[in-house]
Amino acid sequence: MALLEIRNLHAEIEGEEILKGINLTLEVGQVHAIMGPNGSGKSTLAKVIAGDAAYEVTEGEVLLDGKDVLEMEPEERAREGLFLGFQYPVEIPGVSNTYFLRAAANAVRKHRGEPEVDAAQFLRHVRERMELVQMDEALLKRPVNSGFSGGEKKRNEIFQMAVLEPRLAILDETDSGLDIDALRTVSHGVNSLRSPERGFLLITHYQRLLNYIVPDTVHVMVDGRIVKSGGKELAVELEESGYALFEENSAA
Amino acid sequence: MMEAVAEQSSVYLQDFQARDRSAEPAWWATRREAAMQRFEAAGFPGRKVEAWKQTRLGNVTQDHFRPAQVPGTLSNEAAANLAVVEDAVRIVMVDGVLDTERSELERLPDGVRVRTLAAALDEDGGVAEQHLARHADAEPHPFLALNTAFATQGVVIEVVSGAAPEQPLELVSVMTAESTGVAAWPRVLIHAATSSEFTVVQRHEGSDGAAYLTAPVTEVIADANSVVNLFHYASEGDKGSHLGVIHTTLDRDSQLNAHAMHAGGQRLRTDFYVNLDGPGASANLNGLYLVRNGQFSDVHTWVRHNADHCTSEQLVKGVLDGKAESVFDGLIQVAKGAQKTDAGQENRNLLLSPKGIAHSNPRLEIYADDVKCGHGSTVGQLDENAVFYMRTRGISDQEARGVLTFAFANEMLDDMALPSLQAYEREALLSLLPGEEAVRKLL
Ligand SMILES: Nc1ncnc2c1ncn2[C@@H]1O[C@H](COP(=O)(O)OP(=O)(O)O)[C@@H](O)[C@H]1O
Ligand SMILES: [Mg+2]
Repeated sequence: MALLEIRNLHAEIEGEEILKGINLTLEVGQVHAIMGPNGSGKSTLAKVIAGDAAYEVTEGEVLLDGKDVLEMEPEERAREGLFLGFQYPVEIPGVSNTYFLRAAANAVRKHRGEPEVDAAQFLRHVRERMELVQMDEALLKRPVNSGFSGGEKKRNEIFQMAVLEPRLAILDETDSGLDIDALRTVSHGVNSLRSPERGFLLITHYQRLLNYIVPDTVHVMVDGRIVKSGGKELAVELEESGYALFEENSAA
Repeated sequence: MMEAVAEQSSVYLQDFQARDRSAEPAWWATRREAAMQRFEAAGFPGRKVEAWKQTRLGNVTQDHFRPAQVPGTLSNEAAANLAVVEDAVRIVMVDGVLDTERSELERLPDGVRVRTLAAALDEDGGVAEQHLARHADAEPHPFLALNTAFATQGVVIEVVSGAAPEQPLELVSVMTAESTGVAAWPRVLIHAATSSEFTVVQRHEGSDGAAYLTAPVTEVIADANSVVNLFHYASEGDKGSHLGVIHTTLDRDSQLNAHAMHAGGQRLRTDFYVNLDGPGASANLNGLYLVRNGQFSDVHTWVRHNADHCTSEQLVKGVLDGKAESVFDGLIQVAKGAQKTDAGQENRNLLLSPKGIAHSNPRLEIYADDVKCGHGSTVGQLDENAVFYMRTRGISDQEARGVLTFAFANEMLDDMALPSLQAYEREALLSLLPGEEAVRKLL
């Protein structure tokens, strides 16, 4: 059984169809990349999988470990092991990062019928993960993303992912707007978490990320459809030729 | 002619005239009569009176409220909640009547003198004669006028020059379940002498089911270089009305730190007057109102910069649950000549339901040119992006909303100087929230 199975997914917002029949199969242990021009529907796909109620799914299926996630509330999807790293992480004033992480970790544990995390043990785990993404410990006490720089916000997404250890992580342009140092850190975080028990769906606008994280498969998304899939060499090809070629194909 | 006038007079005037006031000193009789006349001339404000047009007075203007003959009995809950502020000296009123048994007038810290209103009125040329009803009563406020006309219960507090007692004073006014039809007119006068520092907490607690009116008036006179920390908490019953006034007069270099919370009640209004009369005075007002389904809350501030180099900061937040209505009406007035004024005002409202209505009216009247004045006002709902973000981390919808609401309101409680009162107010906040248990873990 595939970790993620998307079949003929159609979704719209305010009556406008954005996803026009997406098919994608991601086996556990794999890393897939989705590339595509601005506005092609990449974030829409990520948010639909995560359960954003602003979008309406009109057709199709999304299965996580064989379970129909479209029937689930966003929090249930998360508890089943889905993680979305946001393109634009949200600021939550007044709620500290530590609290937020503990609440999230406990929600998953409760779902699995496990007891709440031991505070001291959890802190050790959190510290270890902070090192992985080289995040400043001071950020733990700060409210979630409040007043964080763009780079800090992205790091915080990877950090949360590292703490929560999801089964499937969808990272929406986590590499955009990062300097090389930050990009290396973020990639290091992802690479360290790669495992036969986990899968990644990396949404990216730039081929550069794929120099650091080598994907098993690259998909090209144009106008709400996946127009081509291939190996990592596809990314290089795209960098050279651009999307224009595919855009024509999709219009045809 | 005479008869026609008598017919038109209010029940309150009739009560006033029927009272035996022979023991009152002449100066007090004069001030009371003036107040009664002011009320009688203006009556209860109709919808055309600007300062009252959004205030839902409901039954308050039709029903006739009278002081309790005998105060009711405290419920177990009310009795258990008499002492909230740690280490405080308590003064208790029940149904508007001073409860000497439960009050600790004998146990006062050095540097503070507290007398009952009755005792203070007996003193010739004392602080009452000098200040009582001589500052607040300049304001055209119907319930303030009635309080001056009818108040017999209350305390007069004097803080000696240079004194800084560590123990706060906690004034608790409880309305019992038997208080339907009762009017409470608590009157408090606080005089902080030069360079003194003092903390007072006023808590108003009402029982559900009783349709009473409480109209407390507190006058604060802060002399030069003094610091007054004033905490005001009101949690009235689901049929109770609270229409109160806090009036402060600040001399040069004095400081007022005020924190107010409306935790609930059918109808609450507090008018907060701040007269910055001496150069270098400062006032910091922060407030939080929680308005439950079917309830009304109103905060009026009147901050007047009458001297140069004064600062004032107002930050008031509101959370409205269900079909609730609130008013924040905030004045910053800068007199001609009050140069180098630094004044700020912010009101932020969170509607938990689209049925809530929050009125927010900033009023700026600036007659000086070298001033810094800022204001902001918002009415909004929870950030759905933040709710979704939290849910994608496995946190339930209810918990996310509870946590976000708590975080919004808790900003007003975060910096409170009295931890025991802070904990008490947090409980009031928590009781309003969805996902309460989860939010507790935030603490
Ligand atoms: N909330 C929204 N309301 C209306 N249109 C939207 C909304 N979100 C996205 N869209 C539209 O959907 C399309 C795809 O957007 P998006 O998924 O963000 O693309 P990408 O992430 O590939 O840049 C765009 O045309 C965008 O304008
Ligand atoms: Mg996007």
